Amino acid sequence: MRFLLAVIAIMGGCATVQPPAPVSEPVPPPAPAPSTTNAAVASLVTSARADAAAGRLVQAAASLERGLRIEPRNPHLWQELARVRMKQGDYAQVESVAARSNSWAGGDNRLRAENWRLIAQAREARGDAAGARAALEAADRQR
Amino acid sequence: MSFFGRIWRALREISGRASRRLSRRAGFWRYLRYAVLAAALLAAGFTLYLDFRVRSEFEGRRFALPARIYSRPLELHAGLRISQASIVDELRQAGYREGQREGESGWFARSGDGLEIALRPFVFWDGPQPALRLRVAIENGVAASVRDAQGKDLPLVRLEPLPIGGIYPANNQDRVLVRLGEVPKHLVQALLATEDRNFYSHHGFDPRGIARSVVNFFRGRGLQGGSTLTQQLVKNFFLTPERTVQRKVTELIMAMLLELHYDKSEILETYLNEIYFGQDRDRAVHGIGLAALHYFGKTVEHLTLAESALLVGMVKGPGLYDPYRHPQRALERRNLILRETRGLGYATMEQYASARGTGLGLNPKASMGTSPHPAFLELVHRQLRRDYDEADLRSEGLRVFTTLDPRVQGAAERVLERKLAQYDKEKRFGPPGLEGAIVVTGSQNGEVQAVVGGRDVRYRGFNRALDAARPVGSLLKPVVYLTALAEPSRYTLVTPIEDGPFVWKSRGAPDWEPQNYDRAFHGAVQLRTALAQSYNVATARLGTEIGVERVLATVKRLGVERPLKPYAATLLGAVELSPFEVTQMYQTIASAGFRAPLRAIREVTAQDGRPLKPYPLEVEQAFAAEPAYLLTAALQGVVREGTAQSLHQWLPPEAAVAGKTGTTDEQRDAWFAGFTGDRLAVVWIGYDDNRAAKLSGAATALPLWGELMAALGAEPLAPPRPDGIESVLIDPQSGLRADVLCPGAVELPFARGSAPVERAPCASALGVAVEEVKQQAKSWFERLFGR
Repeated sequence: MRFLLAVIAIMGGCATVQPPAPVSEPVPPPAPAPSTTNAAVASLVTSARADAAAGRLVQAAASLERGLRIEPRNPHLWQELARVRMKQGDYAQVESVAARSNSWAGGDNRLRAENWRLIAQAREARGDAAGARAALEAADRQR
Repeated sequence: MSFFGRIWRALREISGRASRRLSRRAGFWRYLRYAVLAAALLAAGFTLYLDFRVRSEFEGRRFALPARIYSRPLELHAGLRISQASIVDELRQAGYREGQREGESGWFARSGDGLEIALRPFVFWDGPQPALRLRVAIENGVAASVRDAQGKDLPLVRLEPLPIGGIYPANNQDRVLVRLGEVPKHLVQALLATEDRNFYSHHGFDPRGIARSVVNFFRGRGLQGGSTLTQQLVKNFFLTPERTVQRKVTELIMAMLLELHYDKSEILETYLNEIYFGQDRDRAVHGIGLAALHYFGKTVEHLTLAESALLVGMVKGPGLYDPYRHPQRALERRNLILRETRGLGYATMEQYASARGTGLGLNPKASMGTSPHPAFLELVHRQLRRDYDEADLRSEGLRVFTTLDPRVQGAAERVLERKLAQYDKEKRFGPPGLEGAIVVTGSQNGEVQAVVGGRDVRYRGFNRALDAARPVGSLLKPVVYLTALAEPSRYTLVTPIEDGPFVWKSRGAPDWEPQNYDRAFHGAVQLRTALAQSYNVATARLGTEIGVERVLATVKRLGVERPLKPYAATLLGAVELSPFEVTQMYQTIASAGFRAPLRAIREVTAQDGRPLKPYPLEVEQAFAAEPAYLLTAALQGVVREGTAQSLHQWLPPEAAVAGKTGTTDEQRDAWFAGFTGDRLAVVWIGYDDNRAAKLSGAATALPLWGELMAALGAEPLAPPRPDGIESVLIDPQSGLRADVLCPGAVELPFARGSAPVERAPCASALGVAVEEVKQQAKSWFERLFGR
């Protein structure tokens, strides 16, 4: 009887007490396809990549900011922005923006690992070898 | 004139001395010779001086062009939440007209829930966008598709941003420069027919015109008329408007000199850009380019004959023939111009008849003066001044693309006007009325979407949003709790805080004995409850336990630069901050501990379109994700079950809004600060003279906030749950660990490992067993799916 009650309670509990749904992004399709279902954001990411490749970094960052106005919770956009900041040599922003990407990354461990690698690279560039090592270790933990 | 004056004084001295010496010899003829010589010298010198002025000033003169300020562009894409009405509203504000007009741009047409739009070309900061025909389909408040005229899907289209003002030269002159080649021939012909028929043949002055002027003068009508375009230009350019013979002579000489040095087309082009076309509130409309935009909402090359004639008619008296204020008089004047144009053979009878038959066709756009949103503009101006000289801002023709969202700004202005009028009426206080301020930002990027600086939203005066430093009261409490929650080993959302009699003694200061709003004590309350109910005593005890200095350090990390006094009373908001500073503080909380400096500017370009210094999005992690998440959960509790419960009248519980009310001593200030998934807004209400308003934050600022957010449509607040956070079932009564069988158990977030271990009385052995089985099942699932 107790066991039966427990089972019912488990099922009832499962049905009612869900953990508060964290905002999780859908599992991303393999890079380099822009990780979004929104065509507008996808077109902005495409043009940002083209601009970044051509060295038009201000334009690239601006396109990503436009994308973020449409999808502020898209961790892939934040990560792209971190990459552009890296090319701009703005290492402090690389760290912050990659951390922002992590905050929206949910269970996407591959994305998190990549963010930590960016952070490591930025710390390395600023001469913070110990910090870079710690970030790389954090990247390794994301699996 | 000083040069002229000096020569004149010198000559008078010379001639005075000479006449004294010569008088004995009675050499009258000799004196006359001196006098003539002196006069000739004087004239030659004066002419040379004028020539120098004409050449140096005309050549070196560039029109001072104001910095032009734009709103954000509306970006249309499939999936955007938007209504037909709000697109139409924005197009109208940009001067677009309803109704199809083939072959033209600048119109829109409704079709069902959708829209067809003929976009005008526009030069954005990153390059030009050509004219474009669009079809936007809208279904259930969402843009279903955005396509071009051929039916091809367009991923993203920027509408033209709205001009929201400028930073003008000292005299508030505004102009849009045009080249002579852009000006329609019929406009030039109408101008010459009316103002200066012999323009292409005279040398700066027109003897016939002068004859007429002289006759008029002797008839006692004063000096008037007869001026050539060149003379008019000289008058506007170099001289003061007084009417004296001396000035008239100077004008004449300068006009001839101008003609000597420059060709007719240069003079005509400068004239067309200089000429004054009336007043738009405090802004002076100069030049044909701006006149075309202001009166007809089109660029100069598209002006019709009738429109050109109307503008030409205004040259004689822009106030007298103002088509908005005196439409009949302006129409008659226009028709007179058309007749003269036709009389000189510049227009055929057909053209004349059809032009005469049209109405005024004025742009219906409401006047904007130097800006329709002066409070926002002032913020832009201040942010620009960090990087640009004031003189450059007022003359270099910079183009500034801002973050202002016209829809948000408009809604904020309307709600403040309406609610303050309503409160005034209910309170029957009489003048001076209540005042208020609102700041709205994008919660994730710190972009300022709206600033309202007072209830007279068009008034360029005291900007309360930026400059009214007022006590913030309970709005500071979240900072105390954030500081506490950053120490999960000491404080969690359910840590009991004693809300009982409390006295704070410090040397050299009177004892501080804070009271609760309801003048009662509530015993041991959970930390989250102390914030939700805004208990002063519990907060004071908590804040002094942590240390005032540490709380102030948190304020600073949240982005408040103003130094605050390290007094215990500061914990309860006895510090003065502007609504803008409060917004910065809450922005960092709203974006999960990432501080982004509030920005009103996105891009700036030079007059030629070259992008200047960018204003990129910058974020800095000011707090670990965990305490920021816990504080947000507590602030959601304020709205769900605390002092801001009444917000549910405007926003559904699913919106999960986080917010905090604030009321200061004797209810001098009423505040509400809160955020949804996409926006943060801070509202302040009070009197300028600091009198007691007898209004609480919950009763006044909160409804205003609620109405505003409901009007804008709120994205639900669902912050990402950081790794270091776990959810635990808690018995709300005891604050201890509950299980699924506990009635009314709530799930609360805790920094991992910080949740209470002790079981609540309601937790049964069975419940514990269930809990454990569940935990095992969960970790099994997690292992299985790697999530």
